[in-house]
Amino acid sequence: MSRTQLVARIGRNWVVLFLFLLCVIFSFTGRGFLSLKTLNNILLTSSPALLLAAGETFVIITGGIDLSVGFVRGLISVISAIVIRDLYALGYSPYFAIFCGIVVGVLLGLLPGLVNGILVARFRVPPFIATLGMYGIANGLALRYSKGFPITFLPDEVGEIGNGFFFYLLPGRLFTVFEKPLGLTEAEARNLVGIVPYATVIAFALLFVFGFVLSKTQFGQHIYAIGGNIDAARRAGIPVEKHLIRVYVISSLFAAFSGVLSTLIFSIGTHTQFAASLELFAIAAVVIGGASLMGGKGSILGTALGVFVLSVLEVGFLMSGILPFYRYIAVGTILVFAVVIDQLFPEIVYD
Amino acid sequence: MERVMVGQKEWLYRLGRAWVAFFLLSEIVVFSIIGTGFFSARNFQNILVAATTILLLAAGETFVIITGGIDLSVGFVMGLACVVSAKIMVMLQAASVPQGLAILLGCAGALLFGLLPGLVNGALVAKLRVPPFIATFGMYGVAYGLSEILCNNVPISGLPPLVGFIGNGYLLYYLPGKALTFFGPPQGISRADIRAMILLFPNVFVFSIIAVAIFGFVLARTQFGQHIYAIGGNIDAARRAGIPVEKHLIRVYMISSFFAAMGGVMYTLRFVTGRADAGAARMLDSVVAVVIGGASLYGGTGSMVGSIIGTLIIAMLETGMVNLGLPTYNKYVYVGIILVLAVLIDQFFPEFVRKGE
Repeated sequence: MSRTQLVARIGRNWVVLFLFLLCVIFSFTGRGFLSLKTLNNILLTSSPALLLAAGETFVIITGGIDLSVGFVRGLISVISAIVIRDLYALGYSPYFAIFCGIVVGVLLGLLPGLVNGILVARFRVPPFIATLGMYGIANGLALRYSKGFPITFLPDEVGEIGNGFFFYLLPGRLFTVFEKPLGLTEAEARNLVGIVPYATVIAFALLFVFGFVLSKTQFGQHIYAIGGNIDAARRAGIPVEKHLIRVYVISSLFAAFSGVLSTLIFSIGTHTQFAASLELFAIAAVVIGGASLMGGKGSILGTALGVFVLSVLEVGFLMSGILPFYRYIAVGTILVFAVVIDQLFPEIVYD
Repeated sequence: MERVMVGQKEWLYRLGRAWVAFFLLSEIVVFSIIGTGFFSARNFQNILVAATTILLLAAGETFVIITGGIDLSVGFVMGLACVVSAKIMVMLQAASVPQGLAILLGCAGALLFGLLPGLVNGALVAKLRVPPFIATFGMYGVAYGLSEILCNNVPISGLPPLVGFIGNGYLLYYLPGKALTFFGPPQGISRADIRAMILLFPNVFVFSIIAVAIFGFVLARTQFGQHIYAIGGNIDAARRAGIPVEKHLIRVYMISSFFAAMGGVMYTLRFVTGRADAGAARMLDSVVAVVIGGASLYGGTGSMVGSIIGTLIIAMLETGMVNLGLPTYNKYVYVGIILVLAVLIDQFFPEFVRKGE
């Protein structure tokens, strides 16, 4: 193996190594980091971020960027929560209300992407400006519908779905499937470990489907081609405009999935704070996962690894008693470094 | 150079140049008619105070956008400077440094510190050819993380009381026929006099407009300013013409983050606190103010006066909505739409924005 090949191999697999290293470090610094409970906690809390980053992956592979995802997520979270709350208050069954909330949220989630996509593909607006406009619009609408407050009074069934696990384990005593064991004391309830959150399974299923679309279909191949060289793609007869619109729709669709899922997990609908910088983390996760911001590279699996790196960082920092805000610094630095490395050492990212 | 334009094109061009001023005027008229107490000296001064943050951020952003770049980090650099200035003031106060000096050092320290993010952004953009929106997007995360760590995720309080006095004070206090004082109300006056007193020129606005005027002059009248337009117009041509493009770009990003830092310092003075998210919502406003003011996001055009008018339009919208008792949330929607429309107009009707060159 030549030196360049070695560099390339490390370059491609450093995320896995880094994730492993982080887990080892935090196992020492954080009390109770290395436990089933923490693992499932990370899985649960990272699932909305996983969806957000998955959508962003498509956009970044085309060489674009979607700054609006964080606020589209907030908007859809608010809208789905309002639908669920109001239908439930009108006396419909909670499951019907939740179903409607999900459907309305996901369908409305197609709109911002359609607008972004048309602006980028047909009107040649630079992606970061088109989506920066949508960033303001989506957040304004979310604030308008929520009046700046979280949407509460959702039926309990919302939390049962969003916060539910396939298995429950009370170490050494009980193991149940689907249902929390009944009649636990308070201390026992605290020790109860949920295993395999529903939310993660939902997120993984969506990721799997769209990962398949990206890696195995002609549409997916075309997206890589567009990101690699848009003019060549156009000359090769690829319907670039149509695909770009679809890509932005996928991105905001995933933001909508993420919003709906966060409503289910937290049992409230909230708008996204400006300082939350969800879009920064989504983009950083994609970049950590091996995508190039210049387009043409990236994968759903890599993005998922990137999200887990960021989640482990957050939880690990918290459990080690460090403010999680170092994450912002880390992420900002990683983002810039990725581009610099991209430009200085193209052999790491390109074979 | 084609100065004479004919027929429809000229008409379009004039309209394009003037629509911003028209829009501002009609905003004033509409809010004055339907609002209560909108059309008053006091309210207009409130608008100016409310406008300072956007004004400062937009002034810096003007330079960056003219070069064809963008600075997404201004909002969080503002928060960082806000936290840094508050922190310095609190620390110096604890070391029993006189209030005035503590405040001066706090402001100066934050402004100096505020040059750093710009230096990094500029170096990344100019030397390492990182696309501006990525370099500054990275800084957006770094600056916010750093400021939350510095203030330990709690707004900094316990600043010297003089801070609020400066930040919420006025340059002139005028009691008709009786007294005229600078910086503070005249001593020993009655309560009725205080009510009748006319306060002119809010301090924070005065500080801001001085800085903006200086840099407006730099942009419009100096060689450096002309070079910036040249870089934004055609970077390769500028390089071939011997303009030190890299050096200028670094300076431009430093100017932008200096203004952001100044926004943070003004926030500290006004609200007597250091908050990491002080400017979080303001980045979009500042970009849009510049774009409304006639700058093209493709570079090469824009002016300080335009950005000031753009700022006033947004600030007027905000205060007008508050005046009418409307929630200001909708503002973000309008601002986002304006941004996209401005870019579309830019592309389809270049005669709207481009000068007749």
